[in-house]
Amino acid sequence: MNKKLFLILILNIFLIGIISAQVSYCCERLENNGAWCQNAPEEECNQNYLSVPTSCEATSYCRLGVCINTGEGTCLPNTPQRVCTDSGGTWDEREKDEIPQCQLGCCLIGEQAAFTTSTRCKNLASIYGLEINYRTDVQNEMQCIAMASPKVKGACVFEDEYQRNCKMATKAECQEMEIGDSNVEFHEGYLCSAESLETICGPRGGTTCVEGKDEVYFLDTCGNVANVYDNGRVNDQLYWDTIIAPTCGDENGNPNSPNCGDCDYYLGSTCKRAERGNSPNYGNYICEDLSCEYEGENYQHGETWCVDVEGTEENFPGSRNFRMICYNGEVSVEPCADYRQEVCIQSEVNTFKTAACRVNMWQDCYSQTNPKDCENSDKRDCQWIEGVSILVDEGGNSLAVDENNEKIDASCVPLNAPGFDFWKEETDAKEMCGLASTTCYVEYASSVTTGGLIGEKGIPLDAQCMDKCREECLINDPTNFCNRACEEKCPSQCVNNNKDYTIKETWIEDMSNICRAMGDCGNGNNYIGEQGYYDEDDLESFVTRSSEEQTNE
Amino acid sequence: MKNHKEKNNKLFFHSNFFQKNRKGQVTIFIILAVVIVVIGVLVYMFYPQIQAGLGLAETNPQAFIQSCIEEKINEDITKLSLQGGSLSPENYVMYDNEKVEYLCYTNEYYKTCVVQQPLLKKHIESEIQKGIKEEVDICFDSMGKSFQQRGYDVNLRKGPENIELLPKRVVANFNYSLTLTKGETERYNSFNIILNNNIFELISIANSIIEWESTYGDAETTAYMNYYHDLKVEKKKQSDGTTIYIITDRNTENKFQFASRSVAWPPGYGF
Repeated sequence: MNKKLFLILILNIFLIGIISAQVSYCCERLENNGAWCQNAPEEECNQNYLSVPTSCEATSYCRLGVCINTGEGTCLPNTPQRVCTDSGGTWDEREKDEIPQCQLGCCLIGEQAAFTTSTRCKNLASIYGLEINYRTDVQNEMQCIAMASPKVKGACVFEDEYQRNCKMATKAECQEMEIGDSNVEFHEGYLCSAESLETICGPRGGTTCVEGKDEVYFLDTCGNVANVYDNGRVNDQLYWDTIIAPTCGDENGNPNSPNCGDCDYYLGSTCKRAERGNSPNYGNYICEDLSCEYEGENYQHGETWCVDVEGTEENFPGSRNFRMICYNGEVSVEPCADYRQEVCIQSEVNTFKTAACRVNMWQDCYSQTNPKDCENSDKRDCQWIEGVSILVDEGGNSLAVDENNEKIDASCVPLNAPGFDFWKEETDAKEMCGLASTTCYVEYASSVTTGGLIGEKGIPLDAQCMDKCREECLINDPTNFCNRACEEKCPSQCVNNNKDYTIKETWIEDMSNICRAMGDCGNGNNYIGEQGYYDEDDLESFVTRSSEEQTNE
Repeated sequence: MKNHKEKNNKLFFHSNFFQKNRKGQVTIFIILAVVIVVIGVLVYMFYPQIQAGLGLAETNPQAFIQSCIEEKINEDITKLSLQGGSLSPENYVMYDNEKVEYLCYTNEYYKTCVVQQPLLKKHIESEIQKGIKEEVDICFDSMGKSFQQRGYDVNLRKGPENIELLPKRVVANFNYSLTLTKGETERYNSFNIILNNNIFELISIANSIIEWESTYGDAETTAYMNYYHDLKVEKKKQSDGTTIYIITDRNTENKFQFASRSVAWPPGYGF
């Protein structure tokens, strides 16, 4: 069987997971690094622990299950039994969803919410010393978090050294104060600065940020949090009387607004202490703009995008995809998997960019024989290149077909060429790149006029083409043996059919393209522009054999 | 001419004298520097005992223990936070000159990882406890000596120790009973050290990431930053398929980082 075809077949077998390299043991613990439950050769297993010549999924000691921390109420799946029990957990082989202790619900504690187990909810409640409301009917985290509504607050007025002092509190908190002080009044929805309450707390005590909230808030003179900062209402007594929803600003979270503190994290702003040159008209806090600037371009808070790094587009050796993230005014870099095994994809909705590192599905490109299967983007990331076929039968004939099922010289290669560790001894780069190797047969007949002189690259100086189409020529025109008409009719795939018999530039280019599309193959520069190991001449070899040698073979 | 020669000789004598003198000064400075360094090292090593000996120590036993152990606990928390929750990582990857422990690991390609540290909080608590053990003994001993030197009869009985990671704080509890007698008797039944630290919140996020890594082979960092506004979650994929996760509280700058190797992709097919 053709060697290349065989290799591709092996690759396919590998891809459907039938391949098994060497006898693998399930080591309860590895010798070198102490990792638990790994499939490895026997000599890598720690002899003080169990090991059997089978996959870990088939063993009892490394079966994966859910590890339950009964004290904390947490459940972690994919944990080997021994690892769990040794750590003090309770192991359960059932799926997490089937274990009653691991069922999630909405845990409402005070003004906070957490989507967690019942035990954890109770734990958190005991830590915070608050009552819980555990809702099993809430089935998702978003719904749960949305339920975390603050309790209605109001002005809790109390006597303090013969003065009417005041504190913003919930009714329950205020009632607790009543135990110690009998002269306590709760005024729901009122602010401590309300004139009608006649407390010592007045309006205009500055502004502040509140933990767990995005907005900038007014403070009264007692330090109580009042309404959201609105510069237009600093002197509006009504705004200091009752709790009122903010009406100032724009719908974009008011980033850097000197007049409005109605910030919104999801719209790209949050309360922060103002920096010099960016002061609000009142107080010291502002809705900080959380957008980012990267390479002269502005990105919104929460945007993610693929960065254009040198050599990435061309898939040069060493190049890699990167995802950039803008959060809280900071840009961070998230590299996709190395060797271009992941590619960065990006989309944009209403100028908001979203990017992700996604697996590069190149693995079964080479075995596709038609353009439809090759370019099926649901299944693989491949491209169809016409000109040269890497899939050939024993006779060197292309196995590729076009849309009409006609034989064609074409190949299916990765859209994003993967990288190889070609510098290592144990590498599959040679085999992978070898798929693109091809032999182009050209037959020559040298005449007596030059005495059989051999020119550059072993080609006879006055050689006449006796290409592989010779047979056809002979059949069609036996008297005009391989003349010019024949050359035109049966052109060589790789050699110019004129008198100099040079290699076709188009063929070189096609081969180079195929070669580079296979992965880190062929000649060229790496991602920083350094020349690779090979130049063009290293990748070509010319062998001249006489007809006698061929006959002997 | 003679005078000139004598003058020159004198000058030579002077310059020779100053040269020798200068050499001597340099030697003295070197000796002084060595002495200062040695003293510094000794002070660092025996600080609690020195404090007690000089009578500079805290007069309140609780405050004494807090000031003596606090720094060591903080040091250990910082160290293990950068090392994936272990003071001496065993299965680790080097990242930014730190040994970062794998909390979920597979040595194979294409496969999801196996959880290596299922009860992370408990593990960290025991690591802190182990890490401070020696320091705790030293501190309680030096506290005893300190009070003895001030004329107290000291009776110290050691009991169980407990470290607990709680929301926004770490609490170290020592159920040691201390009786101080100097005319009157003072009795202390336990010592608590409370440190402001967000490691509890950070490891809760780490657990969630581990669950995603072991189930799907990856975790989306922005999801956490959307839910928790003060959190920064970074993901750094390495060439060998390892992923380093760095979770930082933007307000306190407390950081927890760990490694995971799940659904690793080889170069080529990875034969």
